[in-house]
Amino acid sequence: MPLLKIDGKEIEIKSGTTVLQAAEANGIEIPYYCYHPALEIVGSCRMCLVQVEGMPKLQVSCNTFVSDVSSDRKVDGKYDMVVHTQNDLVVQERKNILEFLLLNHPLDCSVCDQAGECYLQDYSFKFGNAHSRFDENKRVRPNEFLGSQIVINHNRCIMCSQCVRFTQEISGTSELFVEARGYNSKIAVLEDNPLDNLLAGNVADICPVGALLSTDYIHKNRIWNLKKQPSVCQDCSVGCNVDVFSQTDQILRLTARENLDVNGYFMCDIGRYGFHRYEEIDRVLQPMVRKGDSFVSADWETAIQKTIDLIKKNKSNTAGIVSPFHTNESNFLLGQIFKDVLGSLPPITGEEITYPSGFRISADRSPNTRGMNDICEGIVEDLASKIKTQDIRTLFILDDGVDRKLDDKWKKIIGKMDSVIVLSYAMTDLAKLAHVVLPGHAPLEREGTITNDKGRIQWLRPSLPVKVESKPDWEILMLVRNALDKKTEHFVELGEVMKKMGEKFENYAGITFFKVGNQGYSINGKSS
Amino acid sequence: MATIVKSYEPTFWDKLYLPALMRGLIVTFRHFFRKNVTIQYPDQKHIPPEGYRGLHRLNKYPEGRIKCVACEMCSAACPADCIHIIPGPSPWDGGKERYPVRFDIDLLRCIFCGFCEMACPEEAIELTEIYDFSDYTRDDLVIDKEGLLEVYDLTKDQNYYTKKNLSKASSVNTSIDT
Repeated sequence: MPLLKIDGKEIEIKSGTTVLQAAEANGIEIPYYCYHPALEIVGSCRMCLVQVEGMPKLQVSCNTFVSDVSSDRKVDGKYDMVVHTQNDLVVQERKNILEFLLLNHPLDCSVCDQAGECYLQDYSFKFGNAHSRFDENKRVRPNEFLGSQIVINHNRCIMCSQCVRFTQEISGTSELFVEARGYNSKIAVLEDNPLDNLLAGNVADICPVGALLSTDYIHKNRIWNLKKQPSVCQDCSVGCNVDVFSQTDQILRLTARENLDVNGYFMCDIGRYGFHRYEEIDRVLQPMVRKGDSFVSADWETAIQKTIDLIKKNKSNTAGIVSPFHTNESNFLLGQIFKDVLGSLPPITGEEITYPSGFRISADRSPNTRGMNDICEGIVEDLASKIKTQDIRTLFILDDGVDRKLDDKWKKIIGKMDSVIVLSYAMTDLAKLAHVVLPGHAPLEREGTITNDKGRIQWLRPSLPVKVESKPDWEILMLVRNALDKKTEHFVELGEVMKKMGEKFENYAGITFFKVGNQGYSINGKSS
Repeated sequence: MATIVKSYEPTFWDKLYLPALMRGLIVTFRHFFRKNVTIQYPDQKHIPPEGYRGLHRLNKYPEGRIKCVACEMCSAACPADCIHIIPGPSPWDGGKERYPVRFDIDLLRCIFCGFCEMACPEEAIELTEIYDFSDYTRDDLVIDKEGLLEVYDLTKDQNYYTKKNLSKASSVNTSIDT
């Protein structure tokens, strides 16, 4: 293994890594724009210049590889490479590079949506000059639409070409290219091939400056006003890791969070803009009990009592319907209440898309199908015939909310029932047919674990505050369970449900939020 | 250590009280012939000095465009957290692409420190000399964008109160409808 010395710190790292990676892994900061761990190295921004002893000029650290050298060429008899990242030469060179990058930059931070998470701002502050010596007129170009969702502000662009490499390597669609050369170069698309693939939103994410902007977030807010919450995307069974940015009770945007075992550094536009469908919906914020043809709002005690009465009328003829959209804990508790007959809402399907980089959008568009099947044993395949043979008269349904359109088959099933209890966050078609509606949490308000299709348990964290009288789904189910059978446990927190779940299912044994963490926990390799 | 206080035995003149009264009246009479420092508020308005930090205003360009670009520097600098802005793409062509759709200042929260003025990169928000804007409800003391632009029209040419003092008739109602 080659031995490095970076700023006097001895680092042993395997041959073939770059100086930038070695420094980053050891807590030494080297600024960069064009480098991205998932993309090819181009070394075009020149921001990561470092001095390597024995080399005549400064080297770009992102493209300088560490390797063993013969013993007679070692520096001080033992170092394969000696690197300086903080000496006067490097510091001066960084200043010069930043001055070049800012020559035509409009410095319109006050209207730029990247301000606050912009690397030009950060590095100018840390390494740059306070003043510009550029007296000439700046180059001004109008904004352009690259695709239906992406706008480019050419003035802010620093030509790092991350977006170009992204469309070439990750999405494989190659819409973007660098047009013209030198001073006239700019990012462009062909007219008949706009940037409209399902990964297009990522180019706005990876842009280190505010050049590429998503029309969905442009001029909406400032980044320092938003609360950032790590969570998991719930639009397909891949379960991409995301950061949810919200202000008070409104979600402003979703960005991809790094998780090399699941989604790498990126996410698709289905998930990115998917949160909009929860915005203007008919929320249920109070327990509702049917009175004739309409609903009246009730308090929790009455609603739970009414639920119990409906179930108790014919306990053995009641079935629970679990959902691939709900967390493992909710499905587990419902499975515990209705052990005999358990049905499920069918998973929602779409087109399976796999990109050349291996990025995948699953055909199964419900987030927790795998978890539901793991946790709820004996889900009845053919519910309609089971209802006939077992004479089911009452259904307790975990509703998928706005994601689910009620089809004729389910309408027929529900039409046959004496009573239907629905746990839902919205007044969906299904909830409108119910006798009791219990208000739960919407997808981005929920807490719990979900299991993706590769068997990775991930922590779903609440990104929004609790609304009015709605309760967490697991708490509602626990209240129903307690009321039905006084001997059952009273859980105080979600962790206890997980513990209980672990006792029943070997795969989920010992799962805690701490163990799952930000990066998830794989249950593969264990006997099922 | 205890302090020893010597008791003072009043003399005849002290007991009469008249010399002390005269000394006091001399001060009073002296002030008779000096210039008045009080003014007849609210008929007459105090004119604050330049740099006085009163009610806010939002400046406009001569062609009528609002100067603010909704960068929210003022609300970030505000120690009382009283400025609430909702930005949006500007309806005007050319130049600045962003403007405030809503711009609310909660005057009851505001401590009139002037940090917003200092933070503003566009010289859009300024504190004016207006000090009498009391109202009856809390809601009325949240001034919105239209109100702030109206304050600009009232104060752009000359000191707000100079004008008020000139026209005595309008000096009865000074509250600015927000």
